[in-house]
Amino acid sequence: MDRQVLILACVFVALAAVLGLRSVRHGARGWGTTVSMLGAFLCQLYVLGERGRMHGQCPLHDVGEVALFIAWSQTMFYLITGPAFRTSLLGLFSTPVILITQIIALWPGNLEQTVTKELSVDYWREVHLGFSVMAYGAFALAAVAGVMALVLRQKLKKGLSGNLVGTMSSVTNLDTSLHRLNIVGWVIFTVGIIGGVMMKVEGGLAHLIVAVIIWSLYGLLIFRKIWKGLPPKVMAWSTIILFVAALWIFAAV
Amino acid sequence: MEVVCLGLNHKSAPVEVREKFAVGESKLGEAGKGLTELVGLSEGVVLSTCNRTEFYAVGETDGVAERIKSHLRETHGLSEDDDAHFYLKSQSEVATHLCRVVSGMDSMVLGETEIAGQVKRSYEAAHREKATKGVLNRMFQKAFSVAKRVRSHTGIQRGQVSVGSVAVDLAEKIFGKLRDSHVMIIGAGEMSRVTAQSLLSRGAKSIFVTNRSYDKALSLAEDMNGQAVRFDDWEEVLSTVDIVVSSTGAPHAVVTRDQVEKVRAKRKYRPLFFIDIAVPRDIDPEVAEIDEVYVYGLDMLSRLAEEGHQQRTKEVEACELIITEELQKLVIPGLTK
Repeated sequence: MDRQVLILACVFVALAAVLGLRSVRHGARGWGTTVSMLGAFLCQLYVLGERGRMHGQCPLHDVGEVALFIAWSQTMFYLITGPAFRTSLLGLFSTPVILITQIIALWPGNLEQTVTKELSVDYWREVHLGFSVMAYGAFALAAVAGVMALVLRQKLKKGLSGNLVGTMSSVTNLDTSLHRLNIVGWVIFTVGIIGGVMMKVEGGLAHLIVAVIIWSLYGLLIFRKIWKGLPPKVMAWSTIILFVAALWIFAAV
Repeated sequence: MEVVCLGLNHKSAPVEVREKFAVGESKLGEAGKGLTELVGLSEGVVLSTCNRTEFYAVGETDGVAERIKSHLRETHGLSEDDDAHFYLKSQSEVATHLCRVVSGMDSMVLGETEIAGQVKRSYEAAHREKATKGVLNRMFQKAFSVAKRVRSHTGIQRGQVSVGSVAVDLAEKIFGKLRDSHVMIIGAGEMSRVTAQSLLSRGAKSIFVTNRSYDKALSLAEDMNGQAVRFDDWEEVLSTVDIVVSSTGAPHAVVTRDQVEKVRAKRKYRPLFFIDIAVPRDIDPEVAEIDEVYVYGLDMLSRLAEEGHQQRTKEVEACELIITEELQKLVIPGLTK
C-alpha cells in the first residue's frame, strides 16, 4: 500500500510540474501547481504516518524513509511559503528535486517492506532525527529559491524578456524567501542539534560533529546577511553549495 | 431600428479636433441623456477619453447619425472640416467596434486596459441618467464580458510597449511592489520626469532630483513633491535609493563603477536599478558588471518595448476570433448585419 500511495505522490508532483510549465507557457499564474502539491503532501503524510505507526517511532529507519521525510518537509515548506509570499514558480522549480527524492525513496531496496515495532523510544533521538531532516526540507527549498534567483538575475541582466521572466517572482521576493527559508531551516536544525546533544549516543560522534559544522555554517551565512548583507550571487551560491555539501557529507557519514 | 456609433479617435482626427468634441467625465451621463432627447432617439451613451469621443445611439427610424451631427453643430460647432474626421459604424458593426474598443484593440497603445474602465464609467453614467435601455445595455454588457475573455485568453495585454512602462515593469520585476522604493533622477529632462512619474504612480516612496543647475532640480523636485539634491552630493544619496533614472546631456559617463562600488556595503548589497535614457550614456557600462546592479539603457528598453508590441500584434487575430465568436451569440431583435 505504501508504495502505491508513494507512486500517487509522484504522479501529483509530476502533474504539478506540468501545470507549472503550462503556466509559464501561457505567461499566467495559476493555482494548479499548489493544489497538486497539496495532493502530493497528503500522500507523503499518509505513508510517513503509517510507517511511523508501524515503527512506533519517527519513520527515519532507512534511506527510503529519510528521502520521503525530506520530500515531505520540502513540500510542506513550499505550501507554507510559496503561495503566502507569492513566490511564483517556486513549486515548478521544486518539483524535480521532490520527484527525485521520492524516486530515491521508491527505489527497490530503499524502503524496507518489513517494519518491526521498536519497544523503547529515546525521545531526544526522535527530536534530533525528526527536526534535523525537517530542516533539510527548508534548506532544500532555499537552494531551489537560490537557483531561481540566479536564473532570473542572469536573464534580467541580459535584458531577456519572455514568459519565464514574466511569470517568476521579483528578485527581491526570491532573495527574501531564500533568506527566510534558511532562517526557518536553521531554527529547526537548532532544535535537532539540541536533541542530538541530549540523546544517548550509539556508535561514534561523527555525524553529530558534521551536523554542528553545517549548523555553524548556515548560522554564519544567516547572521552575515542580517548584519552586513551579502552580494546576492554569493548568497544564492552559498545556499546551494551548503545544501548539496550537507547532503553529500551526511550520506558519506 | 437603427444603431450607430459616430466618433473620432487618434487615428481619424488630430488633437485639436478631438479636444473640440471632448466631454468631461462629470458630464458624460448628461451628454448621453442629451442624445435621447433628440427626435426619434431612444438610447444614448457618450464615451470621451483623451484619444476618442464616440456617440452611441439607438433610433426607431433611420437618420440617427444625421440627427447627432446636427446636435453637434449646435453644441460643439461641428464644421464640414471636422465632419471629415468622424467615422460612422452602424448596426452590427457597432457591437464589433465596441468590443474592439473595450478590449484595447482600437487604442493608441495596443491592448491597454485603462479604456475598459473608461467605457464602463461612460456607460454607467448614461445608465444612471436612464439613457440606456434594452439595446445598448445588452451591447455594452456583452462588450465587457468579451473584453474580459479577450484579456484572459490571449496575450493582448502581455509585455509593455513603451519605454517608460517597460522600465517601470522591470523595476517591479526587481523590487516587487515599489512602495518601499526610493528614486533618484539625475538630470532634469522631460523623459526622466515622465519615467519617474510612472514609478511614483506605481507607489514609489520618495524621489530625489539632482541636476547641474540646482534651480532646475529644485523646480522639478517641487513639481514631483520630491527633494532636490546638489549635483556634488548625489553620491551620498546613492546609498539610500533603489532606482536611478538618468538623462543628463553630459558627453561622458556620470556614474562610474567606482562610485557604485563605494556604496555597496553601505547598501547591504540591495539591488540597484539604473534606467539610463541619456545619449551618450550616463552610466558606465562597467557598472552593470556589479552583481546586484541592473543597468538598462535606451536601446535595451526600446528593444523590449518593440518585442512587447510585436507580441501583442501577434495576438490580434486571436482576439478578433473571440469577438466574432462571442458576437454570434448576441441576439438583439431588430439589429441587422
